[in-house]
Formats: sequence, C-alpha cells, structure tokens
Amino acid sequence: MNEKAEWLDLAQEKCANEKSGLYYVFGGIRTAVWEKWIEFKHEWKKITASSLISPLLYMLALGWGLGSMVNTGDRPYIDFLVPGIIALTTMNTGYNSVSVSLNVQRLYERSFDQVIISPTPIFSYIIGQMIGGALRGMYAGVLILLLSIPFGVSIHINPLFFVVMFLNGMLFSALGVLASVIAASHLDISRFSTFVIIPMTFLCNTMFPVERMPAAVGVIISCLPLTHTSRLLRGIAYGESINLLSILFLVCLLAAFIVLTNVVVNKKNNL
Amino acid sequence: MIQIKDITKKYPKAEQYALDKVSLEIGTGEAFGILGPNGAGKTTLMSIITTLSRPSSGNIFVDGELITRKRNDIKRKLSFVTQHISIRKDMTVREVMELSGRLSGMSGRLIREKCDQLLEYTDLSDKSKNCARGLSGGQQRKLMIARALLSDPEILVLDEPTVGLDPHARRKIWDMLINLKLRGMTLLLTTHYIEEAENVCDRVAFINKGKVSDVDTPFKMINDLGKYAADVFEENETHSYFFPEIQDAEEFVSSTDKMIRIRETTLEDVFLNKMGEGLGREA
Repeated sequence: MNEKAEWLDLAQEKCANEKSGLYYVFGGIRTAVWEKWIEFKHEWKKITASSLISPLLYMLALGWGLGSMVNTGDRPYIDFLVPGIIALTTMNTGYNSVSVSLNVQRLYERSFDQVIISPTPIFSYIIGQMIGGALRGMYAGVLILLLSIPFGVSIHINPLFFVVMFLNGMLFSALGVLASVIAASHLDISRFSTFVIIPMTFLCNTMFPVERMPAAVGVIISCLPLTHTSRLLRGIAYGESINLLSILFLVCLLAAFIVLTNVVVNKKNNL
Repeated sequence: MIQIKDITKKYPKAEQYALDKVSLEIGTGEAFGILGPNGAGKTTLMSIITTLSRPSSGNIFVDGELITRKRNDIKRKLSFVTQHISIRKDMTVREVMELSGRLSGMSGRLIREKCDQLLEYTDLSDKSKNCARGLSGGQQRKLMIARALLSDPEILVLDEPTVGLDPHARRKIWDMLINLKLRGMTLLLTTHYIEEAENVCDRVAFINKGKVSDVDTPFKMINDLGKYAADVFEENETHSYFFPEIQDAEEFVSSTDKMIRIRETTLEDVFLNKMGEGLGREA
C-alpha cells in the first residue's frame, strides 16, 4: 500500500453531510469575502497606491488648481469635492475589484468553474463578492479621508458616512458582478466602464453641484445612484440632515441588481 | 451510480448537435473512460455531468437523484478535474486548496489536515507556499487533482487529466488514479490517450460526433477485434490485420513476402477501427 495514500484511510469524515442549505449560503458568502481578502493580502501595496493616485490628482488639480475659481457658497471647494471623490472612488473600486477579478476567473483562469460545480450556491458566493468589493471600496474611501487631512479639509464624519460608503461600494460591486457575468470578453468590462462608470464619475454631483446642469439633464442625473451617494456623503460631511429617500433609493437599487444578477446567472446555460 | 439519459446538447448557431441522445450508466466504484477524437463531445458531456453546462434535453442522475446546479447535496458527491488549468494563479498552492475546501463546506481544521496529506501525496508539499503561477504544467495538474480529492468525493470526473504532460508525469497520475479506483472511488474520465484508458478503466465508451457508438471492457473490445495484429507496410502506409489467434497471424505472415510485424492488439487499434479512421482493414 502506498504510504502517501494513507489519507484515504483516515476516518471518512464527510465534510458536510449533515450541513443544511443555510450553512452553504453563509459559507459561500464567507468564502468569497475570504477570497477577496487573500487577493488584497497579496496585492495590498499596489491596491493602496492605485487607490490613492486618482483621488490625489483630483484634489490637486480640482481642489487646489481650479478650486479657488469655483463658488460653492460659504464653504471651500475642497470640502465640497472630497465627499464627491469618496463617492466616485468607492464606486470605481467596488466595480473594478469585482468585475475585473471575476471576469478573469470566469473567462481566462476558468477558476470560476470550481464555484459552479461546488455545493456552494452561486448566489451566496456572488453576495460575498459584493461584500468583498464594498469593503475594498470602503478601504479606498478611508484612504481618501486620510489623504484629505493635509489639504485642510474640514468635514464631519459619523458612522452613517461609512454605511453610505459601504452601500455605494456594494451597489457598484453588484453592477460589477452583473457586468462580469454578461461580458463575453475582457474588453466588454472596460467598455461597460467607459459607457456607464466614467460618465457617472464626472457628472453625478461629484465635482460640481448637479443643479448647475441643464434641467433636463439634471433630471436624468438625479436618477443615477452616484448622485444620491454624493448628496448623502456631502450632507453628512456638512453636518446637515440627510435625505432618507436617497438611502431607500440606493437600497432598492442594490436589491434590484442582486435579483437581476441572480436571474442572469441562473438563466445562463454556460457560465 | 451515474445514469446519463438521452442527453442532447446543441450550442446556439451550431449546425450539428454536440451531443445527440447520449445514454450511459456508470456503476459505483467503476472506472469508466470516454474516448473520442477532438470535437467528439467528450468535454461537453463532462461539463453537463458536473453542471458547468446545461443540456438542451435529457437528464443525469447520481444515485437516483437528478443533478442540477442547485442540488448541493448531490454536487457534494462529485469533484471535477477540468481539461484546462482552472486554478487561481495569483494564489499560493495552499490557498488554492483552502478555497476549494471552503467552497465544499469543509471546516478549517479538516482543510488543513487533508491539505497536508494531499500535498504530500501529490509531491507538492515543498511548493505549498509557492504561487500557483510558478508551478510547472505537471505540478498544476497534480494540484488540480489534489484539490478535487480534498472534499473526499465519491465520484471523480476527469477531463483529459494528463493532456500536455510528459510520460513520467502522466504515469504518475495514472498510478494515482489506479490507487483511487482500488479504494472504491468512481472514476469517469475522458482521454484521447488510449493507453490511459486501457491502463485505468474497467469499461470504455467510444464517442464521435456527439454519439456514443460502443460501450464495453477494453479486454472484450480487443478480443472482438482479434487479439493479434499484423502490421503490413504497403502502398506507402501501414495497414493492420487482426487475428483471433497467433497461429492465424503467423499463417498470414508466411503467405506473403511483404515486411510484416506481429504484435498484440491494443485498445488504440479498436479505437481507430471503430472511428473509421483506422490504419487498416480487418482480416
């Protein structure tokens, strides 16, 4: 008998015989979050550096460079800008960290096959990916808060600020999952970003008030989630009361994305 | 037991069926091989059995239960080693194993315990902290097999498990598979290395253009064709003639002055003969 094969003679502890469906649901979420953590652990230096570059440039170019020419009432423009940058960064980080990674796993490394054939429900794994993406978004958001200190930014932060960051990250991670499942190639992911993410980056109340847009365009932009996130974060940062309808809007949109993603995943014959 | 019933698969825009009413039964503890040329439908069938892909029609039952993507109780019995390398290459060997264990619902303690044993079994212990990207092709394949065994499956499905490996690595994997078979694991594998099927499988099926043509033991198939083969080089190519007894083959040799080599018939002869692209004609 091969000594190395003794593992097969060990007590046949069937790993999950008595475990319920709910066990696998929570297990799937935990596994996906753990997977995102491992990704982060290996690449944290690159992730941190890349999370800082764009916000730093925005703060330098817009906050310092153009800021003095922008009228935002009785507050300095940098105070207006930072919540907007946090909103767009949690969006970008949430979306990219999930869509790119999942797309590579699905189409190139094909390691997503292991998720499909495993007993873990795909739906729970996807929820875990969204949570992992949201946490990465929050990490980038916190980095910007730290980065804004030398710029003399004076804003209020409370737990709700972090809740909104998480919600925004989760929402766009969900969009990232959806894009990665639909995408037929890696190029589709960047196309989706070009047509959906980049326009929101600049237009959704991030760098200038949406009220300055032409009325018709303003109505459309008010329907986009990033506009609500920017408004919520800025409201908290200014110490003002926040619009609960905006939170409700984000939660409903997140629920819609989760349902839609689940439908698409279940309908696809070949993932 | 795996029961494959009338599985049909047609890809969108494809003119032909990838699988055309394929039905097979694989017994518990059996090593079953599916042989066929490239594009025959082997990988499609494996993908459907493991729920990676959905059939256009037909059903697959494992121990009498219909297998679908949502049946985690049935999926727990199965592990799959894909034809392509399907591991996260940015993870270390141990992390690849841990991810698989977590997806199978295993506890951390059990994952660590089995991971150590399996990495030793597959000679990857000293690579456990290495990034999977840095492993050779053979080591990546071994890692995929180790990963598939982690959850202690009852059925191991392997799609071309030794493709692209050197002869030494290939034989090492065959030994692993034979070892698993001897311990009662059900093996279902596709290969176009006929020698692999002959060495490992109790029964084989031939598949071509989406249709299963023959199912039997390699021994019976070889006997049916003729246990002995005489290779004759004529008209710039080798033609094989098959005989039930060696005396018949020797008699054939003595009747001609051409260059002839007598040998034992292999499953490859049967395969080539059945696929219609054989080297020669039956005697």
